Amino acid sequence: MPAAPLLELDAVRIRHEGASRATPDGVSLDVRAGEVVLLLGPSGCGKSTLTLALDGLVPHAVAAELAGTVRVAGLDTREHPVAELSEHVAMVFQDPDAQVVTGTVLDEVAFGPENLLLPVEWVLERAERALKLVGLWDRRGDNPDVLSGGGRQRLAIACALALASPVLVLDEPTANLDPAGIDEVYAVLRELASERDHAIVLVEHNLDAAVDIVDRVVVLDAAGRVLADGPVGEVLRRRAAELAELGVWLPVSTLAGMRLRAAGAPIDPLPLTPSELAAALEAVDALPAPVPEVVERVDGTPASKSPASEGAAPRPAAITVRDCSVRRGGRRGPVVVDGVDLDVASGDFLAIVGTNGAGKTTLVQAIAGVIPAPRGTVDVLGMDPSRASARDRARRIGFVFQNPEHQFIAHTVADELDLGFRLQGVPDDERPAEIERMLRRFGLEQLRGQHPFLLSGGQKRRLSVGTALVAGAPVLVLDEPTFGQDRARASELLGILGRLNAEGTTVIIVSHDLQLVADHANRVAVMQGGRIIGAGPTGEVLEGPLIEAAGLRHPPLARATRSLVRHPEWQHVTRMSQLPRPGRAAA
Amino acid sequence: MTTAGSTVAASRNPYAEQAPVPTARFLHGLNPLAKLAAPLPAMILILFTRDLATPLGFVVLALALLLVGARLRAPAVVALLIGTPLGVAVLGVTFGVWVDPARLDDASTAASIVLLEVGEWRFTLAAYLVGLATALRVASIVLLSLIAGLTTTGPELVRALVQNLRVPYRLGYTALAALRFVPRFRHELDVIRAAHRVRGIDTGRGPVAAVRRSISYAIPLLASAIRHAERVALAMEARAFGAHHTRTERTVSGWRLPDTVFVAAFWLVTAAIVWWGLLAA
Repeated sequence: MPAAPLLELDAVRIRHEGASRATPDGVSLDVRAGEVVLLLGPSGCGKSTLTLALDGLVPHAVAAELAGTVRVAGLDTREHPVAELSEHVAMVFQDPDAQVVTGTVLDEVAFGPENLLLPVEWVLERAERALKLVGLWDRRGDNPDVLSGGGRQRLAIACALALASPVLVLDEPTANLDPAGIDEVYAVLRELASERDHAIVLVEHNLDAAVDIVDRVVVLDAAGRVLADGPVGEVLRRRAAELAELGVWLPVSTLAGMRLRAAGAPIDPLPLTPSELAAALEAVDALPAPVPEVVERVDGTPASKSPASEGAAPRPAAITVRDCSVRRGGRRGPVVVDGVDLDVASGDFLAIVGTNGAGKTTLVQAIAGVIPAPRGTVDVLGMDPSRASARDRARRIGFVFQNPEHQFIAHTVADELDLGFRLQGVPDDERPAEIERMLRRFGLEQLRGQHPFLLSGGQKRRLSVGTALVAGAPVLVLDEPTFGQDRARASELLGILGRLNAEGTTVIIVSHDLQLVADHANRVAVMQGGRIIGAGPTGEVLEGPLIEAAGLRHPPLARATRSLVRHPEWQHVTRMSQLPRPGRAAA
Repeated sequence: MTTAGSTVAASRNPYAEQAPVPTARFLHGLNPLAKLAAPLPAMILILFTRDLATPLGFVVLALALLLVGARLRAPAVVALLIGTPLGVAVLGVTFGVWVDPARLDDASTAASIVLLEVGEWRFTLAAYLVGLATALRVASIVLLSLIAGLTTTGPELVRALVQNLRVPYRLGYTALAALRFVPRFRHELDVIRAAHRVRGIDTGRGPVAAVRRSISYAIPLLASAIRHAERVALAMEARAFGAHHTRTERTVSGWRLPDTVFVAAFWLVTAAIVWWGLLAA
C-alpha cells in the first residue's frame, strides 16, 4: 500500500497582488515520502511561487491569492499557520545571505527547534545531527558570515533538517553559488536523496548538477499549467525537443545530444549527464567531425586559433595591465589582486573566471577605474582610468555592476540614458534621437517612461548595459552578469554581448558559469588567490589543467569529451558551436 | 553579493559563546539589566550637576569598575587610562571657549587669571573650569554606559530583555536579526557609491550636491533593503518563528543575588559621591 502523500496539491492557482493572471494556474500533484521531484518551467511560470505555497507562506505571508487547495500532511495550508506547517515542510531559499538570523552556526540551526519549543536537549541533539550531516559541526562556533557561499547554503539545509520535517523544498539553492559551492550543496543533497527519509522538491535551473539525484520531473508551461509529470528519463529524454521549444533549460549533455542527432549521429537514448553523453559518443562508430574552432576576428575574417596566426594578425591592445596590485580597505588591508599582468586586444571577448574571493571583481574594478588607483599600471586605450575624469572614462570603458539597480539614478528609462548623453555634452537637439537609437538597440522602446526599478530583471540588465555604452565606449566590462539569473536570461544577455562583440566592442566579463564562458568568450583568464594563473584562447584553457587548479569544474561538454577514446578528434570539443550543424550532416 | 560576508571582521564573533571569564572579571557575569540599571540614576544626576567633583567621582568609579571587572584588551586599557584625561582636557578647552563670559562670576579669583589673550578676547581660568566640568560630565556618562557596553553582547542583552523584562521575543530576536543587516548595507552603500561615481554623477561639490547624492544613494539602498528584509522575514517564518508565545531558551538569563548586590551597592556609592560633591561645593 503506498503511503499517504505528504503534499497534495489540487488545482492550485496563485495570483500575486497586482498581477493580471495566475501563475501557477491549476497545478495538481502529490508528493510522497522518499521522492525527489524537480520542478521545471520557463521564467515567470510560477515555480518559485508554487514552492512558497508548499509551506503556507502563500497565502499567509506573501500578498497573493490562493485558489484550490494545498494539503501538507493532510492539513489545509489555508487553515494552519506557517509555523505549524513548518514542522512538515522545511524551506531552503536562493539567497544564502537572506536566511541567516543569528550570529553563530549552532544558534542558527537551533533557531527552528527553539521556535517549536522543544526541550533544550532535543534542540542540541537535532542541531548536532543536522550540522554533522552537512559537515559543519566543527564550525558550530563560527559566525555564518565567515562561511563560503556553499557553506552558508549547507547551513540553510541543516536549519531545514533540524526542523525534522519530512519534506524539504529548495528554491534555486545554487543560483548564487560558485562551482565549488554548487558541488558542496549537491554532495549534501545527494546523500539526503539516497537516504530516502525526506521527500525533496527542487526548483533548479542548473540541471547539470541536479539531474542525477532527481527521480521525477514536473514541468510547468509558460502559463503555469502542468505540461509533464513523470520519471526523469521519460520526461527529459522523450520530450526534450518540446521542452527546449518552451524555453525550459535542459542539461547541456541533452542539448548536445539533440544537436548531434540533428546532425545525423545515432545518439539514443538522449544523454542527461556528461558521462552518459561520453558513453553515447563512444557507442557510435563514426561521428561527424566537429566544427573546427574558429575565432571570429573583428574584421570578420576567420583565423585559426594557433599562436602562429595570432602573431600574424596582431590587433591593437585595448587594455594593458602591468604588475597591478590592490589591497582591499586601504593600505593595510588584505591583498586581493596580486601583481597581475593582463593584455586584452581590441575586439576580444575575455572571460575572467575563478572561485569566489579569487579577486576577479576587484581586478575588473581596477581596470575600469571604479576603485582608487591600484599599484602598478593600468592602461585602457591610452588612458589611466583611475586618473581620468568620469566623462573621459565613460568614452573608453563602460562598467556594468552585478546588480543593475545600483547604477540607476533617473526616474525613467529614457532619462537614465539622457543623463549619460548630457554628461558627454551632446547638444539638446541631438539627444532625443540618440536616446531613441539606444532604446531601439536594447529593445526598450515600449518602456521609455517606466521607472528603472520597475523593469523586469532582464530589462534592467539591458538598460544597465545601454547606460554603460551611451558614450560609445569601445570596451565594456561586466561583473558577474549572470549571477542569480536563470539560464534563459543569462543566455539572452550573452547573446546581446555577442552581438556587441561582433560589432567590434571589446567585452570583458567576470563569471563562474563555465559553459556560458565556453560558448561565448574567445579568451579566458583564470584567477586564483589574487593572481592570474593562466590566460589564453577559450578552448586551450578549458582543455588544460588550469580550471581544476583554480578550484573550478570543467563545463559539462568538456567533461564529456575530454576522455573520449574512440574519437580523439572530439577531445577538444568544449563549446556548443563546435558540434556539427545539421547542414553539414551525415558526412 | 558575493563579498558581503567577507567585509565582516572574522577575528571576534560577538554572537558566539564567549570564552569563560575569570571570576574576578565580575562585570561579564552580571545580568545586562543590572549593568544598565545600576548607573542609570548616576547618569541622570550628572545632568544636573555643575561642579567638578561629582562627575570626577563618577569617572573614577567607572574607570575602576571597568579596569577591575571587565576583560579588556591592552589597547582598550590604554585608551581608557590615557584617552580619558586627554579627552577631558581637550574637550574642556573646546567647551570653555564656547562659554558665555557674561555668565561667569567676575568676582572670583579664577576669572582674573587670564590663560590666553587675543586682542579683546580673553580665555580665563573660570571659563576653562566651566568647560572642564562639562567635559567631565560627558566623559562620566560615556564611561558609565561603557560598564554595560564593554561587557555585554547583543544576544545577552536581548535574552535579558526577553527573559527578565518580558519584552516580546518576536521584537527582541527580530531586532537581533536586523542588526546583522548593518554590515551588509554598509557594503552595499559602498558599491552604490562606486556605481554612481562610474556614471559620472558625483562631480558636484557643496552641500546641495551632497544632499542630492545621498538621495540618489538612498533609493537603490532602500529597494534592496526592503527586498532583503522580506526574504529574511520569509526565512524566519518558514523556520517556525512566532509559532508559540515563548520559545526555548538554551541560555537562561537569570537575576541572581550578585545582580541585586551590584545594583544596591552602586546606588549607595552614587548617593555617597553626590553627597561628597555637594559638600565639596
